[in-house]
Amino acid sequence: MSVIAAEMLSKDYGSGHGVFELDFEVRQGEVFAFLGPNGAGKTTTIRLMLDLIRPTGGRIEIFGLDVRARAVEIHRRLGYVPGDLRLYERMSGGELIRHFAGLRAIGDLAPAREIAQRLQLDLDRPIRALSRGNRQKLGLLQATMHSPDLLVLDEPTSGLDPLVQQVFHELVRETTARGGTVFLSSHVLSEVQQIADRVALVRAGRLALVESVQALRELASMRVEASFAQPPPADAFLRVPGVSELERHGQEVVFSLAGPVDPLIKALAAHTVLALDIHEADLQDVFLDLYRGAVEGDGDDVRESVANAL
Amino acid sequence: MLSSVLGRSLHEIRRSFGWWALGIVGYVALIVAVWPTVKGIPAIEKLHNSYPEALKAFTSFGGSFEFGTPAGYLGAELFSFIAPLLLLVAAIGAGARSIAGEEEAGTLDLLLANPISRVRLALEKLGAVAIEMLGLGIVLLAALEVSARVAGMRIGFDKLAAASVSAVLLALAFGAIAFLLGASTGRRGRAIGIASALAVAAYLLNSLASLIKEIESLRPISPFYHYAASDPLHSGLQAGHVLVLAGIILVASAASPLLFDRRDLAV
Repeated sequence: MSVIAAEMLSKDYGSGHGVFELDFEVRQGEVFAFLGPNGAGKTTTIRLMLDLIRPTGGRIEIFGLDVRARAVEIHRRLGYVPGDLRLYERMSGGELIRHFAGLRAIGDLAPAREIAQRLQLDLDRPIRALSRGNRQKLGLLQATMHSPDLLVLDEPTSGLDPLVQQVFHELVRETTARGGTVFLSSHVLSEVQQIADRVALVRAGRLALVESVQALRELASMRVEASFAQPPPADAFLRVPGVSELERHGQEVVFSLAGPVDPLIKALAAHTVLALDIHEADLQDVFLDLYRGAVEGDGDDVRESVANAL
Repeated sequence: MLSSVLGRSLHEIRRSFGWWALGIVGYVALIVAVWPTVKGIPAIEKLHNSYPEALKAFTSFGGSFEFGTPAGYLGAELFSFIAPLLLLVAAIGAGARSIAGEEEAGTLDLLLANPISRVRLALEKLGAVAIEMLGLGIVLLAALEVSARVAGMRIGFDKLAAASVSAVLLALAFGAIAFLLGASTGRRGRAIGIASALAVAAYLLNSLASLIKEIESLRPISPFYHYAASDPLHSGLQAGHVLVLAGIILVASAASPLLFDRRDLAV
């Protein structure tokens, strides 16, 4: 079942600003990351989802309901952390939580207190005295205290210290574990690649690609560094599929590997290997490649879709 | 208190309400305290009665200009200008702040992510403005009644209540206009500016139209005319004038949620 469904969704602000003809579906239980540089249209898309602004074209549904006509119903099941998080400065954290709990008709504040404890957030302090990180915690708390079916997070990890980031990851995992769905935006892939199942790449208001993180990982080439007892012959690995030699310094050779690792291991085994290091693909590099449109198609589905998208 | 938008809105104004109330009580007490020293002094009454017509027009509150009676004194010193001014400033500020203030502060996005419709949000905010102004009206009336008793000023509670109600209605009319402007544009400064300009224009029109024959027929356009026309301190309220002010309040209040519901919210 799709939790969010956008169809030809557009918000045209004129002179090329806005988002255009977005088509995407977010499935129940997944973590969907909306990635793109600042100004690409991530926040615009999220504000369309929340009915804060109205589309100039197309439609968007959440839980199968129209985001405008059924906004109250949708929002009851949704938690949201804005990118530019502004809170009531004159309230304390606890007052803010009580206010939103009141609007959501939540009588039991125990879950909220429990999350606050995990985030090590002091609810008695006035919001104006909170650091950026603590405000962000409060934002996460108000978005998750009612165990929403859908979490919408606009640049959620910016400003979080590593410890809080860990709790944040836990909250995301807990949401999906009970069947909830997470939609988050980011401009830094490395922040979301551990938690996202699928990523949508948005560029200049248009979707460049929607792909699973797994497929992107496979698309990325690995970096293999081998150290030999004797320098292998120059042509020793030429015929190994997916392998190209990048650098060679005496006994040390650096390969780039796209595809299965086994043929290279078999080829390496013909020589005396002193040390071997295989780096996991860095999605950041893949994305940079995608952005440059540098990935060349070779029949691979993903490459094709990327090539088409770009 | 914090479980609704209405409750929070009232919670937020509790301090500023206290200051407004203090200001109103202080001013009323001062004006009424002076009464025993000026009443029955023919020279002062004569001085005031010899004011040029223009000055009388700008300092009169319904009916004829007279300084020697409690009603005339309170009309000239309080209800002709200061009381509506204080209430108008409070109402226009509250009305403009309600939605546009929260939008400019950036908290509206997060608030509306909660299960509350824009229409309901606007109505609760309107309710908070109405309650605040009603509260200030009660403060004004209470201050008048108490200080009139202390100072031995003989004027009926019903007359004081009529004038206070009329002043609150006048303030709410412009407060509702400010609310409408804020809800439909999201700009607090603009809402305050336009609503204030309208209030000043309405005041000038009403005062000038009482002097200039050629524009006298325009007087009923001004809410200030309907505020004072029944001469509340002498004769209480008149349904027609009350209905005009109430009509402005209702129309602006009804249009606000509808326009607010239709537009994009500012980031």
